[in-house]
Amino acid sequence: MDAPGNGTLRDTMMRDKSKEALAESLSAPRQQPAARGEVAVEVDGLNLFYGDKQALNSVTLDIERNKVTAFIGPSGCGKSTLLRCFNRMNDLIDTVRTEGEIRLGSKNIFDKDVDVARLRRQVGMVFQKPNPFPKSIYENVAYGLRLAGENKKSVLDDTVEWALKGAALWGEVKDRLQESALGMSGGQQQRLVIARAIAVQPKVLLLDEPCSALDPISTLKVEELIDQLKADYTVLIVTHNMQQAARVSDYTAFMYLGDLIEYNETDTIFTNPGKKQTEDYITGRYG
Amino acid sequence: MTAVSSTKPSNASDRHALLGVMDARTRWRYLKDRFARWGVAVGGLGVIVAIMLIFFYLAYVVLPLFAPAKVTSHGSYALQPAMAAQQPWLLAMEEQAEIGVRLGSDGQAHFFDVATGALRETVPVIADGEPPAVAFDIIDRASGRFAIALADGSVRIAEHSYRSEFTDGVRTIIPGIAYPYGEGSLALADGPVDALEVRTAEESVLLAGVLPGNQVRIARFVQEVGLFGGAGELEADAQTTLNLEFAPTTIRIDPQQAWLYALSADGRLAFWSIRDLDNPQRIDLITVAEGESLRQATFLNGGISLMLAEPGSGERGLISQWFPVRNDDNSYRLQRVRDFKLPAGTVTDVDIEQRRRGFVVGTDSGKVALYYATSKRRLANFDVGDVAVRSVALAPRADTMLVETADGQLHRYDIHNEHPEISMGALWGKVWYESYPEPDYVWQSSSATNDFEPKFSLTPLSFGTMKAAFYAMLFALPLAIFGAIYTAYFMSPQLRQLIKPTIEIMEALPTVILGFLAGLFLAPYLELNMPGAFLLLLLLPPAIPLAGFLWTRLPPNMRYLVPDGWAPVLLIPVVIAVAVLAFSLSNPVEAALFGGSMPNWLTNELGIDYDQRNSLVVGIAMGFAVIPTIFSIAEDAIFSVPKQLSQGSLALGATPWQTLVRVVLPTASPGMFSAVMIGMGRAVGETMIVLMATGNTPIMDMSIFQGMRTLSANIAVEMPESEVGSTHFRILFLAGLVLFMFTFVFNTVAEVVRQRLRRKYSDL
Repeated sequence: MDAPGNGTLRDTMMRDKSKEALAESLSAPRQQPAARGEVAVEVDGLNLFYGDKQALNSVTLDIERNKVTAFIGPSGCGKSTLLRCFNRMNDLIDTVRTEGEIRLGSKNIFDKDVDVARLRRQVGMVFQKPNPFPKSIYENVAYGLRLAGENKKSVLDDTVEWALKGAALWGEVKDRLQESALGMSGGQQQRLVIARAIAVQPKVLLLDEPCSALDPISTLKVEELIDQLKADYTVLIVTHNMQQAARVSDYTAFMYLGDLIEYNETDTIFTNPGKKQTEDYITGRYG
Repeated sequence: MTAVSSTKPSNASDRHALLGVMDARTRWRYLKDRFARWGVAVGGLGVIVAIMLIFFYLAYVVLPLFAPAKVTSHGSYALQPAMAAQQPWLLAMEEQAEIGVRLGSDGQAHFFDVATGALRETVPVIADGEPPAVAFDIIDRASGRFAIALADGSVRIAEHSYRSEFTDGVRTIIPGIAYPYGEGSLALADGPVDALEVRTAEESVLLAGVLPGNQVRIARFVQEVGLFGGAGELEADAQTTLNLEFAPTTIRIDPQQAWLYALSADGRLAFWSIRDLDNPQRIDLITVAEGESLRQATFLNGGISLMLAEPGSGERGLISQWFPVRNDDNSYRLQRVRDFKLPAGTVTDVDIEQRRRGFVVGTDSGKVALYYATSKRRLANFDVGDVAVRSVALAPRADTMLVETADGQLHRYDIHNEHPEISMGALWGKVWYESYPEPDYVWQSSSATNDFEPKFSLTPLSFGTMKAAFYAMLFALPLAIFGAIYTAYFMSPQLRQLIKPTIEIMEALPTVILGFLAGLFLAPYLELNMPGAFLLLLLLPPAIPLAGFLWTRLPPNMRYLVPDGWAPVLLIPVVIAVAVLAFSLSNPVEAALFGGSMPNWLTNELGIDYDQRNSLVVGIAMGFAVIPTIFSIAEDAIFSVPKQLSQGSLALGATPWQTLVRVVLPTASPGMFSAVMIGMGRAVGETMIVLMATGNTPIMDMSIFQGMRTLSANIAVEMPESEVGSTHFRILFLAGLVLFMFTFVFNTVAEVVRQRLRRKYSDL
C-alpha cells in the first residue's frame, strides 16, 4: 500500500474516513484453509442470478492480501462474473441479483449504505480490451484523481509519474504525456489502464483477462508488472491462459459451471490437483 | 477451391482442364463482383452529378443577373435637312422602336424611320403665323405628351401618338399628333416664359413658367366633365406666383403636383411645396454647385427621384439623384442620395427608361453612358465619336437608343440590358430607396405598376431564415439533446426500444400539417393564453425535479409497483398536470398583471410589437420538426460510445454523471455536433412551417414576437407570380442558390468539425 516517496498523496487519499476504517479492519487477521497470510477479501455464500438463471452457486473463498489469485475455468464458468462482483460492476446489468456477502475488511460490499463509487476506488479493475479514454496519457492517469475532486497540479503531476512508474510505463511515455493515449500500442495501453487504476491507490486490483488482446511481448511485460504489483496490491486475475495463471499467481481457483471446484496454492493446483475435474481441465481434456 | 488442393493434377492438360472449370465459376464471380462495383460507382457518381446539375442549373438561371448591358451599334445616318436646321426639343420613339419623332424648336414634329432615317411625315404643332415657340417641356414620356410655350405666354399641350393598321397581315404604324385638351392654347402669362413645366392629371392641368423678375407663375386648369361624359373645356381654377431668390433656368414639378424644383444659373436648387397652391412654401434652398450653372433636371420613372446634371470637377460631370425624404417630425427635406460620375465631359442630355429606374446620359465629349439608379450601376459606356452629343433617346422598351450628335448624325444602338437592378450592393447592402428616410435592407418585389421601384435585398430574407432557424434550435436543441442523452445513457433498454422509434416516427409527420396546426391553432391559442406559455416555461423546470424528489419519498412498496426503468413514464401525467395548471392560470394572471391582454400589454407598456404569427410559434412548430432529426442522430452517437469506456470510468469510481460528462459526451461529441448541424440545415431549408406559421413579412427584427420571411418561404410565395426570365424570377433562383449555399456551408462545416473531432477520438 505504500506509495513510494509520496507522503502528501497518501495523506490525500487517506483523508477519506471510511477508507481509514476499512484499512484498519483489513489488518484484522483471518485465517483461511489454503492460505497462511492476511485475508483481504472474504467471499461468503455468493449466489448470483442473471434473471432466473443462476450463474454463481454459493461461492465461498478467502483471498490473501498482497498475493495474486487467479481464476481459471472454461468459458461460461462464472469466473468473470465473480470478478465483477468484487467492485459491483454487475450492478450495471439490470437483471442481476446477488445473494450472500463479499466482505472487504469487515464490511459487506452489498450493504445498502455502501457507496459504489467509493468501493470502486478501492477495488480497481482492468478489462480484457484496453480501454483508455480519448484523452491524453496524462489525463487518463489523472482521471481517477480528478473524479475525486483533486485538481492541484503538483499532486496530479506526482501521482501521474508515480502511477506510470508503478505500471512500468514511465520510461516509454514520459516525453509524450500530453499526446493522445489512443496513439499507444495495445500493450502500452493496457499498462496505461493499469496505471490509471493504481493511481487512485486501490487495495484490490481486478484484472479481467488483461492479456488476451495483447501480443506475446506485451503479455510478458504485463505479467512482469503483475508480479511487481502484488507487493502493494491484492491482485485478482481471470485468465484463459493456464500457463499465465501458473506463471503469475500465488493462488488459483478453478471454477466450473458456477461452482468453485478447487481453490489452493497455484503450485498445488497445477502439480497435484485435488479434484478430477481440475486435473482434466489443466491437462487440456476440456475447456 | 478444395478441388485444387485435394486433387493433385497428374499432368499439364489435366491441370488445364481443372483450371478451366475453375475459370467458369471464377469468371461468374468476377462478373458479379465487377457488376456490383460498377453499380455502386454509377449510383454514387449519379448522386454527385444530380447535385452538380441542380447547382449548374441554378447558376445558369442566376448568372445573367450579373451580366453587364450589351450595346450594339447599328451605324448612323445624317438627319434629314428639314430637321437638321433646328435644335432638338424632343427625340423619342414609339413602342416598337420603328418610328421616331423629332420635335424641333420651330414647333415642327418630324416622324422618321428609325432604321433608315427616312422622313415619314412632318406635322406642325405650331402652325404658320402663330407666335414662335419659346419653351418646351416633356410632360410624360410613356404617353408621348409634351407642351410648348408660345411667345404670347400661352401653352399648347400635344401628344405624339401612333396607331397600327394591318393590311394583308402586314403591320403599318401610322404616326400622328394628338391634342388631348384640344388644339387651342392655355394662357399662362402675358409674355414669353423662360422655362416651362407642365403636369397633367386626370381632369386637371398644371402649368408653370418662369417670368422675368425671379418669378414663377403657376396656373391650374380644371376640366369640366359634362353630365353625359365627354370632355369639356379647361377652365382656370387657381393661380399663384412664387417669388424666388434667383432667375430659374429650369423648373420641375413632380407628377403628384406636390413639389416644385427650380435650378439657378449660379448652382442653387430651390425646393418648394406647392401642394396647396394658395399657400406655396419654400422648404429648402440648397447650393449644389457653387457658381456653376445648373440646367438639366429629369425625373426618373415614377416621378420621385430628380436626376440633376452637375458640372462636377476635373472635366467629369456628374448626375446626382435627389428626392424628398420625410423627417421624424413629418416635415420633408430634399435629400441628395447618389452621385453618378460620368466617364468624361459634361452632360448635354439625359433620357430615362420608361419602365425602370434606368437612365442614359450624353456628354459634350461624345460619350454615352447607361446607368441604373437603384443599384448605382453604370451598365454601359461608349463613344459616339469626337463630337458632342446633342440628344439621347431611349425607346419605351429600353431596347433601342438614338443618339444625335452635333454634326447632325443620328446613331442607332440596340441595347440588351435585362437585369440592371441587380448588383452585389443592391442584393446585400443597405440601399436608399425612393422616399425612404434612410438606406435600408428591403425586400419588396412586385407591384401592379411600372412606376414602382422594386426592392431586391436578400438580407432580410437571409436574416429571416437565420432567425427562424435560431428560434427553432432554441426550442429543439435542449429537448432533443437532453432527451437523447437520457434515452441513450440512463433509460432502461425496454423503454428505450419504445421511445426511440416513436420519436423517429415524428420525423415522418408532414411539415405542412405542423405548419397548419401552428398557424391555425397554436398562433391564436398562444395569443389568447400567452401568460400560460410563459408560466409553463417557469413551472415545468422546478416541477420535474420536485416530482422526482417526491418519487424517492414514496414508500418502497408503492415504488415497486412500477417496473424497473419505467419510472420516467410517470412524468407524463406530471407534465400534463403542470401544463393544464399553467394554462388555466393564464387568464387570471393576464387579468391581474397584464390588464387583460398580454399582447396589448407588451405593445403598450413595453413598446414591443406583437404579431400573432411570430417567431415563438415558428420556433415551437419548426422545433418539433427538427427534434426527431437531432434526437435520433445524437442518441445514436451517445449510444454507440463503446461500453468499455463508460465501464472503465465507472470502475475507477466515477458516478454515472461524471462518466457521462467526462467520457461519454466528449467521445460522442462528433456525432452530436453533426446532429445539431443537420438539424440546423433542416431548419434553414424548411418551407411549409414558416410559410404557414409566420406572416411572411420580410422584416429584420430579432424580436420573438415578430414574424419573418425566409428564403425558402419567399421562393414558395413568389415563384408562381414571377414572370419567367424576369429579374424577379432570376432573383428567386438566386435565393434558392443562397439557400443551397447555406446548407452547403452548414454541412461542410459540420463535416469538417466532425472529422476533426473524430480524429481526436479515433480508434474507438
